[in-house]
Amino acid sequence: MSDLTPLRDLLDHHVVGHDEVKTALLLALVTREHIYVEGPPGTAKTRLAEVAAKGSELDFFFYQLHRDTRLAELVGDIVLERRKVKTDGGAPGTAGEAERIHQRIEPGGLLTAEIAVLDDISRAPGEALNVLLRILNERRFGAEPIPLMAAIATGNPMDDEYYNEPLDPANLDRFALQLRVSGLIQSGVDEAKTLIDRFAAGSVVEQPDPEPVTDRATLDALNKRMYEVEVGAAVRAALLDVLRTLVLEFECNETNSLLTDRTFLVKAIKILRGAALLAGRDAVDLPDLAALSWMTTFRVPPEAHEALPRIIGRISRQVRAV
Amino acid sequence: MTLAAPDHRATELAAAFVELRTALGKVLVGQDDAATGLTLALLAEQHAYLEGPPGCGKSELAAALAALSGARTHTLVFHRDIRETDLLGDVLLSRHRHRGHERLRRELIPGPLLQAEIALLEDLPRSPGEALGPLLRILAERHALGQPLPLESAVATGPLEQVEAPIDPLEPGQLDRFAVQLRLTGLLAGGLFDEAAVLLERGAAREPSRAAIRSTAGSAHPPAVISTATRKAAQRAAAALQVEPRTLDAYHRLLDRLRQRTADESASGDRLMSDRSFSSAALRLVRAHAFLRGAPAAAPRDLGAIRYMVAHRLPEEVQEDFDHILEELLGDPPNVTMAKTGAQMPGAQSQGDDSDGAAAASPASDSWIDDQADLPAPPTLFGKPPPPAQVDPLLRALVGRIERGRIDPDTDPGGQPRGYRPLRDLDELIDADLIEALLFADGRLPGAPRTFERKRKSAGGAVAVLRDISASMAGRLTVWSSQVVLGILRVAARRRMRVGYVEFHHRALPHYVGGRLLHRSYSRLAEQAGQAKAVGQTNYEAPLRTALEGLRGGSGRNRHVVLLTDGLPIIGDTTVRRERQLARRLGVALHTVFLGNGDCPPVLDDISLETGGLRFYGRPLAGGGLRLEER
Repeated sequence: MSDLTPLRDLLDHHVVGHDEVKTALLLALVTREHIYVEGPPGTAKTRLAEVAAKGSELDFFFYQLHRDTRLAELVGDIVLERRKVKTDGGAPGTAGEAERIHQRIEPGGLLTAEIAVLDDISRAPGEALNVLLRILNERRFGAEPIPLMAAIATGNPMDDEYYNEPLDPANLDRFALQLRVSGLIQSGVDEAKTLIDRFAAGSVVEQPDPEPVTDRATLDALNKRMYEVEVGAAVRAALLDVLRTLVLEFECNETNSLLTDRTFLVKAIKILRGAALLAGRDAVDLPDLAALSWMTTFRVPPEAHEALPRIIGRISRQVRAV
Repeated sequence: MTLAAPDHRATELAAAFVELRTALGKVLVGQDDAATGLTLALLAEQHAYLEGPPGCGKSELAAALAALSGARTHTLVFHRDIRETDLLGDVLLSRHRHRGHERLRRELIPGPLLQAEIALLEDLPRSPGEALGPLLRILAERHALGQPLPLESAVATGPLEQVEAPIDPLEPGQLDRFAVQLRLTGLLAGGLFDEAAVLLERGAAREPSRAAIRSTAGSAHPPAVISTATRKAAQRAAAALQVEPRTLDAYHRLLDRLRQRTADESASGDRLMSDRSFSSAALRLVRAHAFLRGAPAAAPRDLGAIRYMVAHRLPEEVQEDFDHILEELLGDPPNVTMAKTGAQMPGAQSQGDDSDGAAAASPASDSWIDDQADLPAPPTLFGKPPPPAQVDPLLRALVGRIERGRIDPDTDPGGQPRGYRPLRDLDELIDADLIEALLFADGRLPGAPRTFERKRKSAGGAVAVLRDISASMAGRLTVWSSQVVLGILRVAARRRMRVGYVEFHHRALPHYVGGRLLHRSYSRLAEQAGQAKAVGQTNYEAPLRTALEGLRGGSGRNRHVVLLTDGLPIIGDTTVRRERQLARRLGVALHTVFLGNGDCPPVLDDISLETGGLRFYGRPLAGGGLRLEER
């Protein structure tokens, strides 16, 4: 059993369904990776992010992006410092005063938060997102490390009707975990009934504030344990085989995919370890490879993403047979 | 000047840089070539441009170079809103009373970038022109605000040109400021699975890897391996190295060969052999290469350093051939493999072929070649494709038409700053010139402060590609027309134009996305275009009708149809009279590209001439390729 069970229960208490997103959110917290959730409006994306953030008692920064988003709104205030300096005036017979003006940023927002919810990230123009996403990636601003553990971004689908621009592929790559959600009612799953029943029974209070059920110390301990999870040669070989299949059989390349080394050779190991840890194991096992599906959503062509569970199944069987 | 003692010193200095190279080579798996190029750039005090797909380690490598070299470093991340003060420094406003009148002066105090020995310029192409212009000038002149800069090398990183990237790439002229140009390949994307396995194993170690530390506690860079005094002494010594006359002779012949190959019309891609780069910068790199080898003078084989300059200066085919061209020139049997990774320096293994035999015993001769030099060459992923079609002439002409028909950039609060205008309301203060805003707040500015005028290029415009997939288009014509379609998709994606794709034989087979012919799902179409199978007979009417119906709903002037075919229409109205009329009425330009053998059907000329479209045909090349030229 993992130490995040209370947080999972909290998510279940506040939001019906969306099992995968919930698991992926926990995975993001444990592995300290960022997560992007895309779905149509009204599918509890923001709510899930909020509950996860508040339930883990972390310093929380919520920002709704818009098309005029400026850097200063995300990282704090731009401060102009003015200092009087003496000057000899440069020319003989002159005397004067001068003012030195220095521009700096008073850290706030993303720079001081432990968990950030970036709502509607696809609404911000790609150019404006660049710095934001770099901060997310490097977890420092200038030379200063920032306390951020995970950013949870949400976005709308890239259809014309939402007037969004698709996120720049390099930008999307900053989110190790990527999921697509659809509305329970729209997709007609069983939970849709539960959802409606809950509201009908009046057991749901609109937007109650979740109580903290875990804390930073617990998450720190989990993160530390994550690095002790063993990743054996068999799992590594299977992972490489999956990647090889995507490249060779599904012809994923630089034009149609974002199969970057950073994500699939460095971060994938973390994700697998986190998945094992959440499953209560201290070594990565072949079933943990299923978590790779949360990494490929917007990185490979749809048919390759859809085929991934099958590929993983086949390769797992082969590895086991050896 | 060249006494025994300085020689000994030179060996030590070279050894220090060899150590730097080795340490740098360990930072990333399978990117030794880039490590060598960067080391040479620093030694020769040249600027370097690193490009590669996201997540391949560009920034990490550049940062590691700075850390290992012990240089005073400043990192600047370029973004849309970067300002002059970020680049240059603080503003000093001074007021002087002089003979009864007051003079206000505004000066800049050099900021950290101007004091850096190594400048890291991250994501350089994302900078708006306003910031880029002054920066590039500073880099070239190494002089700013009236004083020389301590700058040794600027290392810039940028993305590979990508289908859906919303940024404009740097122009060759801008890139020319960076003498060293390196292109990194992703291990996965490049099919380098052995290296990928090494990286996976590193990450699976039971302790937080360096990457892991970085992602929780900021950066963890390696400690410096050389001192500033050593670095500077080595740079001086490398710059003072003699270039042997036979090296110069070989260099002239190399330039001749490169010019010939570049002039060859079959080559596509960038071509810019500027005097600036190929005189001083190139020779500095050649000297640095010799110095690193521990050689007393630059020998012909040190010309190998030129290969780190060619990424954006020579056509791709010539780049790939560079090592062969050089080997041929030097008359040596090919003694080194130049795989993209696992690289070693050109000529580094050849022994005693010239006067620096004595240096072979120095630590620099071989030891700085990474142990991993024997990694296998990347596997060939696919069967041998037919010689490529050269679609650039068509794309260039099409871009010209699109730009001409295009609306000027629109004012848009989320766009790029493109000039200044007076402040209109106080909300805009955030975008105002900071100093003027300050003076304004103090009541010392007559009038309103100027503020950025933000503009965004119009996302308007659409292009529909109609592609003949009738039976006669089988084989290499299919491959070639896919290349044309992909090229057009890239052109459209760069401009955020909507695209439509219709394959046709006797019927039109439009590819709808979300129920629309025109959309921005470029990669989905790109994928589709790669899967076309040739079948059936040719009908122009149906696809033209489909495309024009799709374009009819849209607005804007910038609407194009590209018809790609190899033969005469057999089915439908073969004169497409009504479609021509409709296109004229809608103001849609119909461009035609004839890929077939023999004469182009006259109807294609009519279609283009009447609607102001381009007329292209595919001219077969010796060697089986195809080049698109204007009819």
